[in-house]
Amino acid sequence: MSVVREKHETIPRPLPAPENNKVIRPEDVLRLPKIADGYLCDPDANVYDIDFTRFKIRDLESGAVLFEIAKPVNIDASAEVNSESEESIDPNSGATVEFTVGSRPVNRFRMIERHFFRDKLLKTFDFEFGFCIPYSRNTCEHIYEFPTLPQELVNEMIAAPFETRSDSFYFVDDCLIMHNKADYAYNGGVQT
Amino acid sequence: MGFLTVLKKMKQKEKEMRILILGLDNAGKTTILKRFNGEPIDTISPTLGFNIKTLEHRGFKLNMWDVGGQKSLRSYWRNYFECTDGLIWVVDSADKRRLEDCMKELNSLLLEERLAGSTLLIFANKQDLPGAYNINQLRDILELDKIKTHHWKIISCSAVTGENLLNGVDWLINDIAARIFTLD
Repeated sequence: MSVVREKHETIPRPLPAPENNKVIRPEDVLRLPKIADGYLCDPDANVYDIDFTRFKIRDLESGAVLFEIAKPVNIDASAEVNSESEESIDPNSGATVEFTVGSRPVNRFRMIERHFFRDKLLKTFDFEFGFCIPYSRNTCEHIYEFPTLPQELVNEMIAAPFETRSDSFYFVDDCLIMHNKADYAYNGGVQT
Repeated sequence: MGFLTVLKKMKQKEKEMRILILGLDNAGKTTILKRFNGEPIDTISPTLGFNIKTLEHRGFKLNMWDVGGQKSLRSYWRNYFECTDGLIWVVDSADKRRLEDCMKELNSLLLEERLAGSTLLIFANKQDLPGAYNINQLRDILELDKIKTHHWKIISCSAVTGENLLNGVDWLINDIAARIFTLD
């Protein structure tokens, strides 16, 4: 997996021309034993103009919105991809993503998300959206089912902010077209 | 048959169901989904694509798909038929002018092979509006008694007040569960 290696802070540079790269399949990323080195696909691979426009987490008990970030319209799409984010663990929340699709119909749109703490896999999240209508705006809410982790591990995660990381891989017809990363710092869910 | 058995086994493990919510535009599909899911319903705009919710209810994992109902989107509905266990057809009970259209669209869905094994729940929505048809009237107008190919039921509801939404979904889940989880 030595496709590219780069620092998180840098804006991702395009990879070598796509014809030189092996197409990345879902089984390739499901086999990764740790967080991917750099990005496994070029921002240009997103030929379907799939654009994530909103991300929201709400508390399922109270319905309160805990976190929401929406992308203003008409800004450069590539600028916001691959950003870092800070989130806190809440096992009873629902996470909504909203995305738009360009002029081409999208077949078998699938997301695979892999969460690691250091080299330990915490969770794999695999969901197939399926078909997406051209020029559509779509939403998807998943109940956050974060696994119950041993307290010892949770303490380690709290003590090591941003060493809990995730890769989000997006496939169309089993070909990788988008790869985003996020780093997490946890506050241990201290109630006040 | 072998494949079907495997599929049943796989679904059984997670007790997962796929529910497709369709109906004409402005029938209240998204409002029903949001209300059922405990979300605010004051800022709902026409769905120009889909809304998916995955939620746990009575130990089942429900994957609910609400697809936009505008005329230009209806030709895309067929892309969402695969593996559907339950179909919720939402009717605006007060939109008398379009009931003919509503019946036509429903009838064409019922001919779809990929929906052949699914349970059909018809939500007679917007019962809170004055002048809404009741379920007996809709049963006649939509000629529901002619449906012999699917398990079906019509239930009156209001997405705004929340009336009967839970009853409807529970009936649907019970019918699906009786078909796919208890066959061994």
